[in-house]
Amino acid sequence: MGIRILLHISLVMIFSPLLLGIAGKTKAFFAGRRGPPLLQPYYDIGKLFRKGNVYSPTTTWIFQAAPIVSMAAVLVSSIVIPMGSIEAPLEFWGDVILFTGLYALARFFVVIAALDTGSSFEGMGASREAAFSCLAEIIVFLDFITLALLSQTFVLSEMIKGNILSSWQLFGPALLLAGASYFLVFLTENARIPVDDPATHLELTMIHEAMVLDHSGWDLAYILYGSAIKLFVLGALFVNILIPFHGLSVVMQTVFFWGGMMMLAVGLGIVESCMARLRLNRIPQLLISAFVLALVGLFVVLIKGV
Amino acid sequence: MIFFLYSLAILSASSILIILTSRFRKISGGIFLISTGMGCVLALMSAVNVLVSRTAVEAQLNLRLPFGEFTIGLDPLGAFFLLAITVLFLLAGIYGYGYLKDHEQKNLSVHYALYQLAIISLMLVVTAKNAVLFLMAWEMVTLSSYFLIVFYDQEKAVRSAGYLFLIAAHAGTFCLWIMFLLMASHAGSTDFDQMALASFPLPLAGLVFVLGLAGFGVKPGFIPLHIWLPHAHPAAPSHVSAVLSGVMIKVGIYGLMRIIVIIKDFPQWCAAALLSIGMISGVGGVLYALGQHEIKKLLAYHSIENIGIITLGLGIGLWGQMDHNELAALIGYTGALLHIFNHAVFKGLLFLSAGSVIKAAHTGEIDRLGGLLKSLPWTGHLFLIGSLSICGLPFFNGFISEWLVFRALFEGMFHFKMNALIFSGLAVISLALIGGLAAACFAKAFGAIFLGNSRSTDLAHVKENSALMLAPMVVLAAICLWVGLSPGVMVSLALRAASTIASVEISPTMEGVIISPLLTVVLVLLVLMMVIMVLVLFKRIAMGIFPVEHAPTWGCGYSAPTSRMQYTASSFAEPVLRIFRNILGYAVKGGRPKGYFPKAGEISSHVTEASEVFLFRPIFQFIKFLTAQLKIIQYGYTQLYLLYIFIFLLALLIWKMV
Repeated sequence: MGIRILLHISLVMIFSPLLLGIAGKTKAFFAGRRGPPLLQPYYDIGKLFRKGNVYSPTTTWIFQAAPIVSMAAVLVSSIVIPMGSIEAPLEFWGDVILFTGLYALARFFVVIAALDTGSSFEGMGASREAAFSCLAEIIVFLDFITLALLSQTFVLSEMIKGNILSSWQLFGPALLLAGASYFLVFLTENARIPVDDPATHLELTMIHEAMVLDHSGWDLAYILYGSAIKLFVLGALFVNILIPFHGLSVVMQTVFFWGGMMMLAVGLGIVESCMARLRLNRIPQLLISAFVLALVGLFVVLIKGV
Repeated sequence: MIFFLYSLAILSASSILIILTSRFRKISGGIFLISTGMGCVLALMSAVNVLVSRTAVEAQLNLRLPFGEFTIGLDPLGAFFLLAITVLFLLAGIYGYGYLKDHEQKNLSVHYALYQLAIISLMLVVTAKNAVLFLMAWEMVTLSSYFLIVFYDQEKAVRSAGYLFLIAAHAGTFCLWIMFLLMASHAGSTDFDQMALASFPLPLAGLVFVLGLAGFGVKPGFIPLHIWLPHAHPAAPSHVSAVLSGVMIKVGIYGLMRIIVIIKDFPQWCAAALLSIGMISGVGGVLYALGQHEIKKLLAYHSIENIGIITLGLGIGLWGQMDHNELAALIGYTGALLHIFNHAVFKGLLFLSAGSVIKAAHTGEIDRLGGLLKSLPWTGHLFLIGSLSICGLPFFNGFISEWLVFRALFEGMFHFKMNALIFSGLAVISLALIGGLAAACFAKAFGAIFLGNSRSTDLAHVKENSALMLAPMVVLAAICLWVGLSPGVMVSLALRAASTIASVEISPTMEGVIISPLLTVVLVLLVLMMVIMVLVLFKRIAMGIFPVEHAPTWGCGYSAPTSRMQYTASSFAEPVLRIFRNILGYAVKGGRPKGYFPKAGEISSHVTEASEVFLFRPIFQFIKFLTAQLKIIQYGYTQLYLLYIFIFLLALLIWKMV
């Protein structure tokens, strides 16, 4: 099992920055530019790994621990997610709670690290992150309830692959709504447009970027890498729900999963190309509409009966 | 059981001895430490003994009570509570001794004696096997905690907080009297075992349940019965707040569990009511906590939140029991019980460290603190451990019990009918929301108190407190980590107490089904640990190669930042509070500059305690109005009152004769 976990983690680590690269290329295509190379995120992270660190005397060890804890937590969360033909190395009753718990742990540390700097801009980002993630978390749980009821299990990998095909046939609308709401959460959690813009550097309006203003060098590399992994893992969850490829041959599963991941990155690029960032006070409204979508999805399941 | 009786005897004797030696501070303090230690350890041993052997023990004292015998007994349910009571009282007692050392002007021996009286009365509550004894012990809990709360009675706020507590607690006890009278008159005995033999018809069970909710609900502070809590906790000295919040308020939950043991069969709406109360108290508690600016008040509201989580577990357990779904019942009860223990430990830890902050910095106003992690390293890190535990984050004990409650709720969703399904679904959402909000709240508290720069110049000379205060906190933090990293033992103990509530035997296979996923969780955490270590290792190596520099925090181009420009706790909580502003009555005052050359400005924000302002205040105004009408028969002459008594007696006699 140790080997399988290692393999899983390595796969995630190798491929996760690629998604960012694909999304960037798509955005460039829509903007009529050539854009940075596909492997640019790798170069960015690699560049940071060759830099020194700058620390503010205000900070404590928490500032340095947060990048490590958050990257480790999202990386480890991947071991309960299947990737195509590769099964999740660990599955157990109730791993859903651990999955969300790991994200909460990562978030908590990033938030307190932002407060550790004593900068009001970072405090601002941290405060927004804490507020919006509360809403995002309940939406994810609503979606999990829908999936759990459809699959009658409390094991994450079973919930997203088990009988997802027959669920699509019987409860298509429910899954569609759940998927749509999950996609909005996916955008929120990964700090993408329309919730947050990873490309801006205007401190007053940002959420996630504002929290990591003071990080540099290896710390920043861990943070960037961590957010790439987060995008990958949460995306893998989405692809598993969206494309019912389970039960097909190994080759087809692999093709569908990795193809799906690429499509997701392209989709992300498209969304970011044709939308503007929402005003901050609109974001709760976006999340509440996602909440309503998830709730309606759950009602569809309840009304049709399980 | 004999240990337990020894413990009772030691504590009773020593509390008298402490009063007698009150002129010699050192001696009475020494007696307090030694006897509390011995009493708690002995009681702890008997609790562990009962839990491990799974057999209830009983003792009858040769004391006649009105309407019953003085029978005390320890079953796994009581023993589990006894576990939490003794651990927390012992540690908080040691801390309190250190905390009060410099209170020269106070008569501490009275406080010590009352502290021991509180232990005795709580121990009696969880072991009483007779309704009358239970109510007497219950009253002793109320009175002793009242006197513990009003320790700083020279302050008006403290006196009124204590008074509020006294009124609230007695209003609750009033309901309990009616409840026990109903139960006793139906069963024909005040003995709990006798009562358990009688079968209660469902409507009566429902009535008892409602009275139980009202009566037992005051101490744990179910919303809207919670209004005394946020006043009493900050008023009390910190070690008292710790035991108050950690165990004293839980006896209300114990009472509810006890009537579930006795009555067994409830109408289904009772479970639905528990779940609803859990959701409202949980979400409401944490939202109000976010709006607080004083650390102990914030923690007090978090007690309400955690009581909500416990009630969710209790509710789903009861629903499982009614639905004959043993797994859901057992997991729900286990989650509730374990959360009771966990909450005792981490909330104890948090209150003690809050007390340590207040003692060192002389203020509990979060927005006046800051950067204390450097000057109070022990307190700060212990507070961090407490925060991580209370947020239910993996690695720490809160996660384990919340995981169990989540699991019970999902179990309920798979097996229950539609109405239960909707309630458990809503409960899952609430629990998720509680988790997120609690994390926001403790990020705020920890961040604003311990991180960043200090917001006031008074904090320059803050010094860490004595080892006598820190050692108990270290033990509590160690328990948090122990339960979080190796949950097997405590879950199994809680399971035994849960099987007492549900009145089912647990088979080893069922124990395995419940515990084994938790052990896998620990496995994942080990993987996480390894990944963290690898990342740390890489960074260590890199830091040797690449330069490490120090420079002030990036001020985004502003060259003269001051520490008062930091984000405050109030502004940190603002986005969440704004989302829920209609429920909370959240309002911000001031903040806009006045005139062309504005000088001083101020801004303040607060949340409105709806049940206090809109529910209890009108009720008490009305009661005041009614009682004012009685003035016409009050003249202040004793003779006249004697006459009233005489007339009343006469009326009773006539009534009896007719």
